[in-house]
Amino acid sequence: MIYLDNAATTGKKPLTVIKAVDTALREYCANPGRSGHQLSLKTAAAVYVVREKIADFFGASGAENVVFTLNCTHSINCVIKGILKPGDHAVTSSLEHNSVMRPLVKSGADYDIARVSLTDDGETLREFEKRIRTDTKLVICTGASNVLGKTLPIRQIGKLCKERGVPFAVDAAQTAGVFPINMKEDGIDYLCIAPHKGLYAPMGIGVLICERPLENTLIEGGTGTNSIELFQPEYLPERLESGTINVPEIMGLAAGLDYVKGLGLKKIYTHELELCRLLYGELSKIERVKLYTPEPTFGMYAPLVSFNIYGKLSGEVARYLSDKGIAVRAGLHCAPSAHRQIGTLEAGTVRVAAATFNTPNEIKTLVRVLKNAEFI
Amino acid sequence: MKRYIITTGTVTYAIKGRDLLRKKGYKVKIERITSGKGAKGCGYGIILDGDMGDAENILRTAGVKILEINEK
Repeated sequence: MIYLDNAATTGKKPLTVIKAVDTALREYCANPGRSGHQLSLKTAAAVYVVREKIADFFGASGAENVVFTLNCTHSINCVIKGILKPGDHAVTSSLEHNSVMRPLVKSGADYDIARVSLTDDGETLREFEKRIRTDTKLVICTGASNVLGKTLPIRQIGKLCKERGVPFAVDAAQTAGVFPINMKEDGIDYLCIAPHKGLYAPMGIGVLICERPLENTLIEGGTGTNSIELFQPEYLPERLESGTINVPEIMGLAAGLDYVKGLGLKKIYTHELELCRLLYGELSKIERVKLYTPEPTFGMYAPLVSFNIYGKLSGEVARYLSDKGIAVRAGLHCAPSAHRQIGTLEAGTVRVAAATFNTPNEIKTLVRVLKNAEFI
Repeated sequence: MKRYIITTGTVTYAIKGRDLLRKKGYKVKIERITSGKGAKGCGYGIILDGDMGDAENILRTAGVKILEINEK
């Protein structure tokens, strides 16, 4: 199979990740932060090392700010519901995933949407400038659209938020492990990460890094500490980590992070973007193909391409490719806001997303298979 | 030799504190604490053998939340 659905989850995990999960189940099978025996303490120490690695990689101020969650959506929910109350004001972008939009709506907060330009980051920044008010409680946006790949000018938005004194949260589902992220330098207060994507971790583990406290918690329960108290502890990460944490996947995440660091972000991104540029170039020669962005350029786009075939629903094209052994994703990609902007709410788009293990030959095969389709 | 229990409440702060103090040459280890006012039920403490010296200041400067320090 040619796997090109890497914006949903990277389809091939490094052997080191698989081995790390296996080792965790064999050698770290105790509950960290609950007991005092040697194996529990050894496991807690191993988990702490992973927190340190993550904090260091993303420029956070301390390992204790690294919270393990179920997934990126869980992380985003922790932030939105930890800050916003009904009637509060928030600002988000026009390219958000439902992982942002649904909790934002559920929170009861009023929100304004900053339209993201596909070609001019200055225009995007001015949109945010216009919409942040004196009573805005949170600015939250994606690092890059999961439909169009367009990156947002995160550092400039972070600087703007600092100037206005507004907390800034970033959904880094499509950017962590692909683009450099430094929370201090980028002015990010809350970073929500999907490690099973760009960090090649197993599915079922998420990360939230908090540089500021969160007033409300999403869930409460046992933390192994302060057990007499019937209130959640104030300290991170335990405040947001009630219940047993997922040690095997945390270990897998550490191995994935090592894999990414070993290759280097620049090499990863250059490789993946070149594959997308190759695909874009070939698709743009096919008359019946509709593309939705300018050619992806370095820094401006995450490594993915959305397209359609005139007269076909995206699902029909993806099904055809699946029958030929090529995995892509079709539909709305859980991000109707982005489709509203490009006019594809009905048809959706076919999305191709590259990862480290993909090759130019795989892209050429995809193009050849498409060209051979009866509907082309 | 003196022995101190520095109660941090959470295992994360206990490990952070232990690693910091070890780097500074202190003889330290972590223990689970299941009673005591500071821990409010359960928690973790850094056991320090020897003089406290500048240990408390080192921990507080690094942001380690200390609930209580007792001589054992």
